[in-house]
Amino acid sequence: MRVAFVGKGGAGKSSIAGVFARMLARQGARVLALDSDPMPGLAYSLGVPSQDAGIPADAVEEYEDDDGRRRYRLRSGLDPSAAIERYSTVSPDGVRFLQLGKARGVKGENSLSHQAYQLIVDSLSSDDWSVVGDLPGGTRQAFFGWGRFAQTVLVVAEPTPASVLTARRLARLALHSSAPRVLAVANKTRGEADVRYVERGTGLPVAGSVPYDETQRDADRRGVALLDLDADTPLVAAVASLVSSLSAEEALR
Amino acid sequence: MKVAVVGKGGSGKTTTAAVLARTLARRGVPTLALDCDTNPNLGLSLGFGEERTESLIAVRDAVDEGDQEHAGSAEELLARFAIEGPDGVRLAVVSAIQNPEPGCP
Ligand SMILES: Nc1ncnc2c1ncn2[C@@H]1O[C@H](COP(=O)(O)OP(=O)(O)O)[C@@H](O)[C@H]1O
Ligand SMILES: [Mg+2]
Repeated sequence: MRVAFVGKGGAGKSSIAGVFARMLARQGARVLALDSDPMPGLAYSLGVPSQDAGIPADAVEEYEDDDGRRRYRLRSGLDPSAAIERYSTVSPDGVRFLQLGKARGVKGENSLSHQAYQLIVDSLSSDDWSVVGDLPGGTRQAFFGWGRFAQTVLVVAEPTPASVLTARRLARLALHSSAPRVLAVANKTRGEADVRYVERGTGLPVAGSVPYDETQRDADRRGVALLDLDADTPLVAAVASLVSSLSAEEALR
Repeated sequence: MKVAVVGKGGSGKTTTAAVLARTLARRGVPTLALDCDTNPNLGLSLGFGEERTESLIAVRDAVDEGDQEHAGSAEELLARFAIEGPDGVRLAVVSAIQNPEPGCP
């Protein structure tokens, strides 16, 4: 399964993506979790230290193609799975975590790391790896570049005007992208009316509804993963059922 | 006074900027609100409503596409870009996410 979470800042992408990745791993999938939001988030919900180490520049090498154009490939001897083993952090439940695009330094400084990230994700076999991405929603990168691995884009939206307006803009962008499927996830809902509001407001089919969860706020304040604080909460239950329904659909295709 | 509001997504930048702008305007200060977010929602928080907020993006796109010539002075630019809303706050959108071009994050 290859999913990317997008949505307005604060909608709950990182909170949901972390639980999603770990629940998927509990089902036995090999999961790579990618954070390409320059602001940290996914590390917390996965329960791994928020480290600053990206993929080192020497993971890629430059070469000239037949037309003399500069291109990049993974360093010889480094296949995508080996690169993941080597450069990722492992979360509880065994999710592999790669952090990219951290806001630091001068623009362009990270470009070799970005190339490496792109090469790894592009050449990863879908049969061996599930990919769960946490992408910043306000930019184009959700659907191009960093987000192009996604087979399913999940737009996280709260039942508020700004959140569904953002979701609608993202859905419009998705029309130009290669992702075959764009679905909404309603977050912080407090009843069926909120789910319908998100459905109407985004114009997208709603794949899941995640209730407002006080324990999630608590985990956030303490800087710990919700799953490590309390695995029996409404958010966890809702995300687990989202994982199950998407997995079941996948199995049919 | 020129103030820029920055911070993590979801931390309240837009809400803070909007309340700041309208408070200044109510005190009689001519106020221009600039939405520099690639997902521009400031109009909603300022009380412009969804339709007018979205209409600013259309203006922004038209300029990108060269439908409108670039103006010289700041006042000319504002006359073209900005619209006026509650408390007399003027709003312009500086960046938008429409019309994706592959390769440009
Ligand atoms: N279902 C939920 N119930 C309560 N709080 C939530 C829920 N989902 C997310 N949050 C809270 O909302 C805030 C933003 O969530 P986050 O996952 O960081 O959003 P994003 O990654 O989309 O910017 C955090 O404080 C988080 O704890
Ligand atoms: Mg986040």
